[in-house]
Amino acid sequence: MRKKRWVPWILIAPALLIIVLTTIYPLFAALFFSFHKYSLRRPPQWAIQLGSQAGDPLIAIDWSLLSFDNYALAFSDARFINSLQVTFWFTVISVALSVIIGLFIAVVVQKGGALHTFTKVLLIFPFAVSPALKGFSWRFMLNEEYGIYDLLIDNAIVRPLNGLIALVNGLPFFDIAAIRESIVWLGDPFWVLFMLAMSEVWGWAPLIALMFVGALGSIDTQIFEAARIDGASNFQIFWRVTLPMLRPVILIVTMLKTIFSLKMFDQVVTMTGGGPVRATQTINFYIHQVGFVRSLDIGYASAMSYILVVVLTALAILYVSLVLNRR
Amino acid sequence: MFHSRTFLHLAVAALFLALSIIAAVAQDADIMDPATFGLDADKPYDGTELQFLICCSTAPQFASLAAKTNSEFTAMTGISATWGDLPFGSFQEQLYLEATNPNTEFDLVAWVDAWGTNIYDFLYPLNDFIADAGIDWADYSPAYQGASSGNSDTIYGLPFRGHPQMLFYRADVFESLGLDVPQTWQDVSAAGEAIAASGMDISPIAMYYGLNVDQNLFNWYSHLWGAGTDIFDENWTPAFNSELGIQATEQYMSYLRDGYTAESAVAWNEQEANQELVQGRAAMFVGWWWMASRMTNSDLPEVADNAGFAPAPGWEGGHTASYGYLWPIGVLDQSDSREAALEYLKWLTHPITERRVVLDADDPALDTNVAVRLSVLADEEVNEVHNGLQGTASAILASARTIPLIPEYTEIIPILAESINEIATNPNADIQSVLDIAAEDVRFVMQAAGYYD
Repeated sequence: MRKKRWVPWILIAPALLIIVLTTIYPLFAALFFSFHKYSLRRPPQWAIQLGSQAGDPLIAIDWSLLSFDNYALAFSDARFINSLQVTFWFTVISVALSVIIGLFIAVVVQKGGALHTFTKVLLIFPFAVSPALKGFSWRFMLNEEYGIYDLLIDNAIVRPLNGLIALVNGLPFFDIAAIRESIVWLGDPFWVLFMLAMSEVWGWAPLIALMFVGALGSIDTQIFEAARIDGASNFQIFWRVTLPMLRPVILIVTMLKTIFSLKMFDQVVTMTGGGPVRATQTINFYIHQVGFVRSLDIGYASAMSYILVVVLTALAILYVSLVLNRR
Repeated sequence: MFHSRTFLHLAVAALFLALSIIAAVAQDADIMDPATFGLDADKPYDGTELQFLICCSTAPQFASLAAKTNSEFTAMTGISATWGDLPFGSFQEQLYLEATNPNTEFDLVAWVDAWGTNIYDFLYPLNDFIADAGIDWADYSPAYQGASSGNSDTIYGLPFRGHPQMLFYRADVFESLGLDVPQTWQDVSAAGEAIAASGMDISPIAMYYGLNVDQNLFNWYSHLWGAGTDIFDENWTPAFNSELGIQATEQYMSYLRDGYTAESAVAWNEQEANQELVQGRAAMFVGWWWMASRMTNSDLPEVADNAGFAPAPGWEGGHTASYGYLWPIGVLDQSDSREAALEYLKWLTHPITERRVVLDADDPALDTNVAVRLSVLADEEVNEVHNGLQGTASAILASARTIPLIPEYTEIIPILAESINEIATNPNADIQSVLDIAAEDVRFVMQAAGYYD
């Protein structure tokens, strides 16, 4: 029987239509806007026609107004440069900690047994929390007056350490409690960025751990047994056997987490508001500020978005090629 | 057999009861009579469904109006209205997107005064409507009139929800230390010093310098205006970095630098600072008056029973002017149901409706003190229910001001908010230098907008 080639196309048509309307069209529209002066405050005629669906917006477009001004502005805008730096450091901290802590959790819970299985189930919960809610929760937890973090740090670290210091004669007086009390988590440029990254690690590290658990499960146990027979210690087995074998997964996970970290937005809005000053203004947050809060400059916001799109596309290509190579 | 005196008593009681029922029915009849609100009794817009773009409609200040819409306004006119319930955080962008969208489904919008300037071109001017409907424009304070019209001759919205700034304080703390209620910011410092020196386990004041939807500017404005300066001078040149501006900012930062507010205040927003008062950790807080019920409804008896309020402080030997923050309500120019929307405005902003909402204090979910009309603020019964809060608000509004209502101000607000936050978070920051840099940024925005051509 002859295969009907059009059947698959018919079947995927609804999905394709949705993707075109919700992804492809906005992508091209934003590219178009990025080359134009387009403010929501005083929308150009073509934008109004585009919205009203009356007449052909393409006729209203003055193609001579196409320019690279918005892109040039981005690289001379100190706030945009700041957002690049903030996003870079946020990405470095959140990716590194997510992968390291995720790996640590995976090694701890990889063994079988009811308790380990139960723990693995629990691990998915932090990732299931919405990013906006995560931001609110962390803001609440970091409050110096009633937040749980100070309580935990005071009881788990500060008091025992202060007690230890008091026990050891000859040590210069070192008041850890005073140091801790002087830190305003959301008011200090370093700590706020670190805590913003930690709020991300809190959700991602468990998920990454589950990915690593899967990868660890696929390693042939005979390799570990052979290493043990050769006299390798647990650390040596981890360092020289487990880690090299996990390398492809580590690369993929790192790439995936990097892509998500570069897009950080929700927690900035609900947890820090971009502050103190501009310490947590990530690229996405700044783009949103320019486009919808400050100057309502959709053209400039679109140009900055496309700069981010270029970076993300490069990383996505790298990610896909890594996944395909692994197969 | 009834004794004649008993019979007389019963007859009087029955008559009283009957009169009460008649009065209640008559009142109900009034509020259900379209003529009371100037509505068209013929229901010409019967079946019209209005869409109202607004945030936080479950907040008490909005919830009562939303609830009464269906039971009263729809019953009289056949017009129904659906209120949006967007989170405040995403409301601003949604407002701009819908207002500039020729195909928007929304008919009515409410907005924060500072945001309005960017949507004036998309709003239906209400001057003729106000004149035709006989709405008493003089029943609104000058600050609210200005915020509804962008300080121009065109009225874009009617004052809907309005908020003067108030000083909330713990009466017991002030009484025990023999302190007078502060009338100026300098008095606040003096009271702060006395409370701090008393050894009481309470922070003198909860301030909010955090960078959260620019709330750290609210009290800064009243310091600036009190000291005798402003954001701009008459030529739209930044004036906040002048000598008076520096004095005002130094005073504004003194509560933090002198230790009268917690160090965490550098990151607090208005709500978090208010929680300090409500949860008994602070003795003073300056914020919007709608927060009054939070203090009186506090779970802590020492807070609820000692709730004190007064006008926001002024400036010693200077001016007293605080920010009169307004949510106007208007009709989108592109609405297909403009006439029905205007009918709704008549009812929604009518003094009878406003008065009834404020008197509806039994249900905590609907308990609000927020009114905008001067006649309602002066109403004896309203003041009785809310312990004179509205009378105090009326006095504050007499000197309240609006922020600069120009489109560029939304671009300038984050510059100012970041600068204030920078001064707060860095104890070594030089106020003059930080404000000079901010002034340069502001000048750049104004230059680009053509103000200095």
